[in-house]
Amino acid sequence: MEKEQFEITMVEYLAGELTQTASSEFEEYLKNNPVQRAEFESLQQTWGKMDEAVVPETSEAMDVRFFEMLHIAETEKANKSTGFVEGLSSFMSLLWRPQVAYGILLVAIGLGTGYFMSTNTAQSDTPNTVVVDNETEEVREQLVLTLLEQPSANQRLQGVNEANKIEKVDEKVIKALLQTLNNDANVNVRLAAIEALVNYVDKPIVREGLIQAIGHQESPIVQVTLADLMVALQEKKSIAPFKALIRSKELDTSVKEKLESSIQQII
Amino acid sequence: MHSLTDNALMLKVKAGDLDKLGLLYERHKKRLFGFFYNMNSNAMISEDLVQNVFVRMLKYKHTFTGDGAFTAWMFKTARNVNYDYYKKNKIAFHQKEVSEMEYKLQDSTDTEKGIIAKDKLSLLQQAMGYLAPEKREILMLSKLKEMKFSEIAEVLGCSEGNAKVKAHRALKDLRTVFLQLEKR
Repeated sequence: MEKEQFEITMVEYLAGELTQTASSEFEEYLKNNPVQRAEFESLQQTWGKMDEAVVPETSEAMDVRFFEMLHIAETEKANKSTGFVEGLSSFMSLLWRPQVAYGILLVAIGLGTGYFMSTNTAQSDTPNTVVVDNETEEVREQLVLTLLEQPSANQRLQGVNEANKIEKVDEKVIKALLQTLNNDANVNVRLAAIEALVNYVDKPIVREGLIQAIGHQESPIVQVTLADLMVALQEKKSIAPFKALIRSKELDTSVKEKLESSIQQII
Repeated sequence: MHSLTDNALMLKVKAGDLDKLGLLYERHKKRLFGFFYNMNSNAMISEDLVQNVFVRMLKYKHTFTGDGAFTAWMFKTARNVNYDYYKKNKIAFHQKEVSEMEYKLQDSTDTEKGIIAKDKLSLLQQAMGYLAPEKREILMLSKLKEMKFSEIAEVLGCSEGNAKVKAHRALKDLRTVFLQLEKR
């Protein structure tokens, strides 16, 4: 093996990027080449020592500063959109010259005359659309609540899917979804409820509900899905219910291992 | 769960949902802090630099395409932040001899307040301090379990093979310095 190739393979081996076959080949090569083996062993030791480097915990002040920065950025973004309206009005004031004003006046008179002379008195559609949209949302919410109470798992699943279509979900629907997650007899419906709730994890009530749901779950797949979700959210409050779950005797061994590793990732 | 991957979250931030940066922060703050801390052994400065990375990610969110891994993009930003910090503070970005460094460590208490006393660091961390920053950097990146060498190469802007050779040589240097310190 050439020097550079040896260096590359060694790094791949140490970083765990070699396949099993390539690893065994490399080990075999080392057995037959004592000089390279000595070099490898000394570097492997240093590589291992790097894991012992102690890094202190980050302070709470760092979190406070970050979220302040984020809040300022969000406020600035909101102001920017109002800034656009202001910019438009200043642009309009620039146009406010006698010639332009006269032109606009003429157009307005023309439009006004046209409006009064027109026999078609159709009104603007916009308010109606808003009302219709609101009504659709309300009907959809009712549909979700009704479907979630049906005895057929298929219909309940449909109910959860309908919930995904609601843009501004209200507390009633969230509570119904959480209740489904805690009490539904069908695993697929419970999993779908988690998927639907993931859309609203920004709301404290949803996060709180998901954490409380951990203790109610008996199905391994639901437990594992919740664990993955909590890791993704880095939700520290979920550690206690997970630990309680690990202590219970009935828990599947592989789920137990999974939960332990999830707790580690959250900490 | 697809909507919660790093890439999906960053694309949401790019689309204007800035709130999602909070989740990315919670997920990566420790890793970034560890990276900076191993580079400068100063917790206070490292926290500032973590903050700078996220400020910059917000500022340059339009450059995130979602094609590569988010961690590679994030560490590329972190690397630039670190480099700018060195440049701004006029700290030399090159390797020093062990004897020279010893002198600097004794002398720099006023200018680099917050640096943890030398004896509190493990021998290996002290040895790290003697390495050139670019060598320290590649060793830190290779130790991250989440990053493959293809991504590290992307961060460093070199070929994958080159990144591995660099990592090997940095490790060798670290070993040499470590042995030198151990003999004392």
